[in-house]
Amino acid sequence: MSKWKKLLGIMLLLLLLALTACNSDSASEDDGSTEGDDTSEESGDSGEEGSDEPYAFTMMANLHTPEVPNEKVLTEIESATNTDIEIQWVPDNNYEDRLNTAFATNSLPEAVFLKNQTSFIQFRDAMEDEQFWEVGQYLEEFENLSKLKENVLDNTRVNGNLYTLYQGRPLSRQGLIYRKDWADNLGLEAPTTTEEFMEMARAFTEDDPDGNGKDDTFGVTDRSDLVYGAFKTVSSWFGTPNNWGEQDGQLLPEFMFDEYKETMDFFREMHENEYINQDFPVTSKPDQQEFFKNGTAGMYVGSMGDVGSLHNDAVAINPDVEFDVHNNIAGPDGEFGIWAIPGYGSLVMFPKSSVETEEELKKILGFFDQMMTPEVINIAYWGIEGEHYNVKEGKALPVEDQDLTDREVKPYQAIEIGEPETNGRYEGFFDYDVKAKSEELFKDNENHLIEDPTVPLYSETYVNDGARLQEIITDATYQYILGQTDEAGFDEAVEKWKSEGGDAIIEEYNASK
Amino acid sequence: METTALTAKENAKQAKKMKRSETWRRIKRNKMIYLMILPGIIYFLIYKYLPMYGLIISFQDYKPYKGIMGSEWVGFEHFQRLFESTEFWMIFKNTLVLFGLQIFIFFPIPIIISLMLNEVRHSFFKRGVQTLIYIPHFMSWVVIVSISYVMLTLDGGIVNAILETLGFEKINFLLNEDWFRPMYILQVIWREAGWGTIIFLAAITAVDPQLYEAARMDGANRFRQMWHITIPAIRNVIIVLLILKIGDVLELGFEHVYLLLNSSNRSVAEIFDTYVYVAGLQQGQFSYSTAVGFFKGGVGLAMVVFANWLAQKFDEEGIY
Repeated sequence: MSKWKKLLGIMLLLLLLALTACNSDSASEDDGSTEGDDTSEESGDSGEEGSDEPYAFTMMANLHTPEVPNEKVLTEIESATNTDIEIQWVPDNNYEDRLNTAFATNSLPEAVFLKNQTSFIQFRDAMEDEQFWEVGQYLEEFENLSKLKENVLDNTRVNGNLYTLYQGRPLSRQGLIYRKDWADNLGLEAPTTTEEFMEMARAFTEDDPDGNGKDDTFGVTDRSDLVYGAFKTVSSWFGTPNNWGEQDGQLLPEFMFDEYKETMDFFREMHENEYINQDFPVTSKPDQQEFFKNGTAGMYVGSMGDVGSLHNDAVAINPDVEFDVHNNIAGPDGEFGIWAIPGYGSLVMFPKSSVETEEELKKILGFFDQMMTPEVINIAYWGIEGEHYNVKEGKALPVEDQDLTDREVKPYQAIEIGEPETNGRYEGFFDYDVKAKSEELFKDNENHLIEDPTVPLYSETYVNDGARLQEIITDATYQYILGQTDEAGFDEAVEKWKSEGGDAIIEEYNASK
Repeated sequence: METTALTAKENAKQAKKMKRSETWRRIKRNKMIYLMILPGIIYFLIYKYLPMYGLIISFQDYKPYKGIMGSEWVGFEHFQRLFESTEFWMIFKNTLVLFGLQIFIFFPIPIIISLMLNEVRHSFFKRGVQTLIYIPHFMSWVVIVSISYVMLTLDGGIVNAILETLGFEKINFLLNEDWFRPMYILQVIWREAGWGTIIFLAAITAVDPQLYEAARMDGANRFRQMWHITIPAIRNVIIVLLILKIGDVLELGFEHVYLLLNSSNRSVAEIFDTYVYVAGLQQGQFSYSTAVGFFKGGVGLAMVVFANWLAQKFDEEGIY
């Protein structure tokens, strides 16, 4: 019995010790670095005394690389901005889940990056309900944040209020990357029309472009993504509106336009003739790129900027490989158009549940303000000069070792605010001239943009049901391309979309026009 | 009169008290044992019963920032929406069909395999086979589905390459709704059949060898022995496992189905789990997806009760 008691006593003691240890730990953190619960007073104090305590906060950001980065670059950022940041990295492919889960359980950190426009729309409701800090009123106070582009900010306003800071992106990076050496072998030029595009896809499939005498190639490599894959880009060549378009003075979704159907026919033809990977509706992005890198496919439609990393990997397999990029492909009506994003990639917002006072908010905004200075943003975007990149002709040239960059720098690009014009970071210098050309073509695309007219509009039904409804259309589009349904079947899906809420969306958008 | 009534009452009270103190005494006497089940009870309370509180949100228009207390009540609106949605019967049917496949096709397979393995007298071979077939259990669905994908794809998959060289048409396994169910159940068998044999083999080893000897004396061959001795001996185990399996009625492996799901096979592949995931976590409709999950749980509960009742009807033990 006494043995039991002793044991129990010891265990209790250990438990107590552990508890107090934890306690004193967090307590000391509170006193020291963290501005914990009682921040308001503390930060007020430290403000008066001009204390040098680094301000501590947590942020949640999207991780686009397979591994969590080491903290080398973060440490640099922290010492430059006098902060102590903890970043919760969430892998890109389940970012939305985590975002929703954290929101539902009220455990969002102080600064939260949204994934994209779609997530932003989902959170509009909560923003309107003032669950996040309105930051528009503070921007003036910050020298750098006030430089953010007005037109992009307008795209992210909710009832005229601003709840987010944006991360700038070129308006349209979409275009074609193709095998220049194959085209040369067959005497083909870069396609200037959709017909020539089809012809190139045919020739790359049937005319043995790699000259090995085997029927082992095909034209276009695509993946299970109707937006960032090939479909939407080709669709805008045909002149389909960007998500929504106007017809007889009424806003209608893109799939009610004839051009959308023409695009589907185009893909159906490519699929039927095996000019495109047959399983593209279930192909992942790495698999899609693999077809292109290993010389199975010759055309890649997507972000032209991908050409850099694609080329890097492809020359490792076949040193003779030659790529080129191209953007200007006209549809049947002779016009070239390309869909545009609203000028931002991601957005950062500040939940009131975790940022409790105005002082705290200002401290965090102060951090992002400093992020918009060239000194800090260059660290976040390019890493440490001399170690991760070198400056060449006023531009940043990353070191050869791509793995090093991926491991130590690239993830932090996800916390950039603004864009080179506003935050003054170095543009990239590209040894590989095709990559440099792709940057030029981004700018050229800006002359042919197809904008999404619904960006400033609001539809409650779309916020609630839009994603589920879109699934109906996505499924029908794939089934049409695969020949599993015909035009009547597709129209039926559109009717279903309309009856289950689509009509309401059309109405609400047109009403808020 | 009064006094007697009072005493009677008091007596009853006394008896109750006695009973209670009796119970307490028993608990006190076995306190170590009760202490040992305490963690189990706490576990169930915290992880199984407490979260049920969250089911409330299926009757609300739940807004995370307003919390359960602050959200608006909407009654059965979400259930109504579920039952009225065009997808409901499709999902219900798909779930039941996959469940049927699990019960009628998958469930007997481990039993058959273990009976077959039991007839193998060479223990080295027996162990070898057993180990080999239960290894896939340790691979995640991602691996299993990816391997199938690589084998079955039209763009260079080995199965289609073989079909082509043999002069057959290529088959679009991945993007065809007709192939979803065969693919699903074959993958379940691939991954789980070996693992499922463990418990049956264990039950078989417990069979008294004297029974076999006696049967042999009576001239029963190997097949007869299996039929008349092995199978009846493990019948209890089979029934308990069957009831447990039925309890999992709507747990068909979310991950597995979600990985196989695509635009072309949604009409046969969408099940409650995938629907809840997409509606709830990806599209943020917390209340609605909770209602769907609630319904699913209700069906599962009803099925277990029914299966257990059925087992008892047939004079089997059941699980409770």
